[in-house]
Parts: sequence; C-alpha cells; structure tokens
Amino acid sequence: MRLEGKNTQPMSITISSKPTSIVHKKKRVNARDIQYFLLLLPPLVFFIVAMIIPLIMGIYNSFTDWDGISLEKNWIGFTNYIEISKDEMFIQSFKFTGLFMIFNTIIQNIAAFFFAVMLDSSIKAKNFYRTIIFAPVLLSPILVGQIWTKMYGTILPSINDIFGLSINFNFFSSPDTVLTGLLVANNWQWIGYWMLIYLAGLQAVPKDIYEACTVDGGNWWQKFFHITIPMLGPSITICTIGIATGSLKVYELIVASTGGGPGDSSKSTIMHIYDTAFMSQQSSYASAMSVVFLLVLLIFAFIQLKVLRKREVEL
Amino acid sequence: MSKKYTKGTFLIQSIVTVIVIFYLLPFLVVFLYAFKSPQEIIGSSPFSLPEKLELVNFTQAFEALNFFQSFGNTFFITASAVLLLILLSGMAAYSIVRGGNTFFNGTYMFFIAGIMIPYQVIFVPMFVLGSNLGFINNLFGVIFLYVGTSLPFAIFVMAGFMKTIPKEIEEAAFIDGCSIMRTFWIIVLPMLKPVAAALTIILSLQIWNDYLLPQLFLSDNSMKTLTVMQSTLFSAFETNFNVGFAGIILSSLPILILFLFMQKHFVKGITMGSGK
Repeated sequence: MRLEGKNTQPMSITISSKPTSIVHKKKRVNARDIQYFLLLLPPLVFFIVAMIIPLIMGIYNSFTDWDGISLEKNWIGFTNYIEISKDEMFIQSFKFTGLFMIFNTIIQNIAAFFFAVMLDSSIKAKNFYRTIIFAPVLLSPILVGQIWTKMYGTILPSINDIFGLSINFNFFSSPDTVLTGLLVANNWQWIGYWMLIYLAGLQAVPKDIYEACTVDGGNWWQKFFHITIPMLGPSITICTIGIATGSLKVYELIVASTGGGPGDSSKSTIMHIYDTAFMSQQSSYASAMSVVFLLVLLIFAFIQLKVLRKREVEL
Repeated sequence: MSKKYTKGTFLIQSIVTVIVIFYLLPFLVVFLYAFKSPQEIIGSSPFSLPEKLELVNFTQAFEALNFFQSFGNTFFITASAVLLLILLSGMAAYSIVRGGNTFFNGTYMFFIAGIMIPYQVIFVPMFVLGSNLGFINNLFGVIFLYVGTSLPFAIFVMAGFMKTIPKEIEEAAFIDGCSIMRTFWIIVLPMLKPVAAALTIILSLQIWNDYLLPQLFLSDNSMKTLTVMQSTLFSAFETNFNVGFAGIILSSLPILILFLFMQKHFVKGITMGSGK
C-alpha cells in the first residue's frame, strides 16, 4: 500500500540562508550542524542497514554463484543474467505480472476515477457508500485471497442454483480465467483506496472554475473533459504509478488464493523469486532476478512520471 | 456538480447503490457463514440468515489462530514499528528541513529515492543480512526491518508537514537558550500530532497486514503473526470453512477498530501522502 512515486513533487525546501543567525554566531555553526546531524543519525542507520546494504549485497550476489548457505562464493560475472533470459518460468511469471499490472492500472484508475466523481456529486448517503467501497482496503491481501477463493468455489456457483443459471464462476480452476479471477479480487480490494485520492483531488478543484464554465454555457460533459480531467492531473500521476508499482509486487493475494496455479499459470515474479531463493536455494540467481525486476520497476516508474507530468496543468 | 437532486442524480444514485451491493456481497457472506454450522452451509443458500449463532466457530478459530499469542506478536511489532517510525521520521524531517544545507538536502534525496524500492524486491539479500544479524525468530529484527524500509515514505510525509510549521516558536526557544535537541523534544514533537495520527493509520495498515517479512523471519510458532497464522487456517479447515471465515473476522477486527477511531485522520494522511 505504499504510495510509490511520491518523490515527484519539486523538492524545494524553503530555508532561509541563516535561520538562527541571531543566536548562533559564526563560530557555533558547526555545533548547530552537529546537533542536527545527531538527530539524523538514527534514522540513517535504520535506512542504510535495512535497505541500502541489502540492495548493494543483492547486486553483488547477483554476480556470484552463491546458494545462500555454503561458504563458497565465486564471482561468475553476468552468467546469472544470461541465465535469466533463457529462464522460461521467469519470462512466464514476468508476463503474468505485466498483464496483471496493465489491467489493474487501467481498470482501477478508471473505476476509482468514476467512483470519485459519482461520490462527489449531490447523491444521498455519500459517506456510507464511500466507507463501503473503501472497507476492503482494511483487509490483509491474505484474507482477500481466502474470501475470493470461497466466493468462486462455493458461493457464486450457488447463485447458479438459485436462478437456474450455469455460469462457470470457478475462475481459479483454469489457466485461462485465473487472471480475471485475481483481477476481480484485487480490484475489489484496492479501488476504494485510489478513489479516496481522486476524491481529495476533486475537492481541491476551485468551484469558481465550474461556475465560470456554466456562465459561458458549458454543459456537464464539457466541464468534465475540460476542467475535471485536466485539473486531476497530479492525482492521475499518483494513482497510475501507485497502482502499477503496487501490482508488480503482488504476492500475498496469490499465495492465499491460487498458490500460483493451476500449473504455474498465475505465478507472479515475486513468487518466482521467493521459490528460487528458498525452495531451490539459488540465492544469487534469485538476486539477479530481483535486480532485473527492480530495474524494470524503476524504468517503468520513470517513463510514467515523464509522460504523466508533461500533461499536468498548474493552477 | 450541481446542488439540486435531479434525474441525473437519481440515475447516479441507482448505479452507485448497485455497485455498493456487489461490494458488500463478500462481507455479507463472510459474516453470515462465520455464524453457521457446517451442516447449514451445505443445506442452505449462502444468503440465508443463520438458524442459530454458532459461536463455536469463533472459539475454534481462536484456538487455531493461537489468537492471544499471534495477536500479541502482531500488536507488538506494529505498535513498536509505528512508534519508532514516527519518532525517527520526525527527527529526520526536522534536521532536513531546518538544518538547511547541501548535506541535509542530499540526505533527503537519498531517503526519498528509497520510496522507489519496495522491500519485496530486495527481500532475498535482506534475509541473508538479517540472518547474519540474528533477526531470525526475533521480533525486534522484524521491527527494525519494517522501520528501515518504511522510513522513506514516513520522512516524505513528515518533511512535507514540517515545512508548514512556522519556525518562530523554535527561534524563541533558541533565544531562551534551548538547544536544538531540547527544542525538538519539547516543542517540535508535540506539534507533529496531526501528521503522526495520519501516519499511524497508513503504516499500521501496511505492517499489520504484511505477510512476506514475518513469513520469512518468524518460523517459530510462538513468534508467528496473525496474517501468517491466518494463511494456514483455510487449509486446516478445508471442509468447514465457517471456521476460516470466523478467523477472518477475528484477524481483521483490531485494525478495523483502529481505523474507526482514527478515521478522520486517514483521508488527511492519504492526501498528504499524495503530495498535495
């Protein structure tokens, strides 16, 4: 649920050149910096140990043949990376994750946007509706996976009995429908979250722009396409990057629902990395896959940022 | 966009109502099944009310989840990590925003770059390093990793908020001879309450519901968290999954209560998190 891509704002920190110059004479500038640095040190240690060192270790390990346990570790250059390009399971999991991401980004963005627009209109009991649509966000993806497994397996088929229909609801049982099944479950969980961001964005649009448009004889559709959508540019950027990067790390939902099956048809990249590292004990190979995956993630976020930022309008 | 309740509004109202009914369906089913007996599940429609409330499902789920233990673990991890995160991100944001030179600006960029790296992508070397540092079956190790990996986001939100705080009060404190450290503890920290409340919800949700880290690091049964225990519940009760559904209610109740208590801060937090 982390909102990746938040570093998209201009990072201008407004600091006057000498904030405390009255008190701190030139001599004491150093003491002042040391005090600030002491405050900064503990968070830096946590961040470096938990993220930066593993990141560097991972990159280093990806060039070795280490299994994760033995003392022997040999430098083998790009062998792991060449291996990846021939690894059919990696390519398949990557394709699956990519499709999962593309569909999620499109569906969740559009649905969240329209829910927000609808729930920002003058309908009754808005807050009640918002709460219901948001509620699945509170559940762990493990629970969502379990709920939807039972929905598809038992509960929805019983609707067939009630209405005398014969729809095949068992989405998780066939490789052709498993993606659809996971998309429904995942969208059910997350649309409400992105809807809130769009709602916040809508509330920030000044009302007088709409009024000006009404005076000029603009109808609802013109307001929607010429005001609402352009003004929500920043929200679209955040949601698109957030949904895309979030979908790329899908793991829990699949563990709890399909377990990667049927066959290996719904194995995500993170799941494949997990299995490679801990089931087949190829730690360095898994690290190489992580590096490739991270690069894809970064390149992808960067392109999205460039494209989306370009079409944002400033107030 | 108009204020009147027109035909168009009625149409939207109807559409939203239908959508919300579909949204409620899974919740309804979980709720109804959690109170039904296994016989009743086979015999009746999923949407019928339970004949009598089968509280036995909850006691079974309670035992299978090892509830007190796993609830305690999850609570301890989440609460400690969130508290530390708020304190540390406050410290970092304060020195970054007020420190005001190239070094502190550079550190900010360094932290913020971390937002782009989800821990799920580097968990393999994280596990290797963690096992060398003795983080296996160690709640503090897991807390450490959560704090380290969530700091970039927390600092981003904190720094955004810090910039809006006027620095006159701090300057007054400096004139009265207060050190920077002391000023942070007694003046700045209490002012961070609104953003701390918002961060509490967002970070608690993430950490409470996380699965990968506790699954990797906490293999000892007495250390397991609710999500890890929950993941085994359905396979254990394959046939009478009413117990599984009771377990779903049990393991999501605490975070639901937290959310209800702090709801109004949540939207604020999300908006701040989205850089508005």
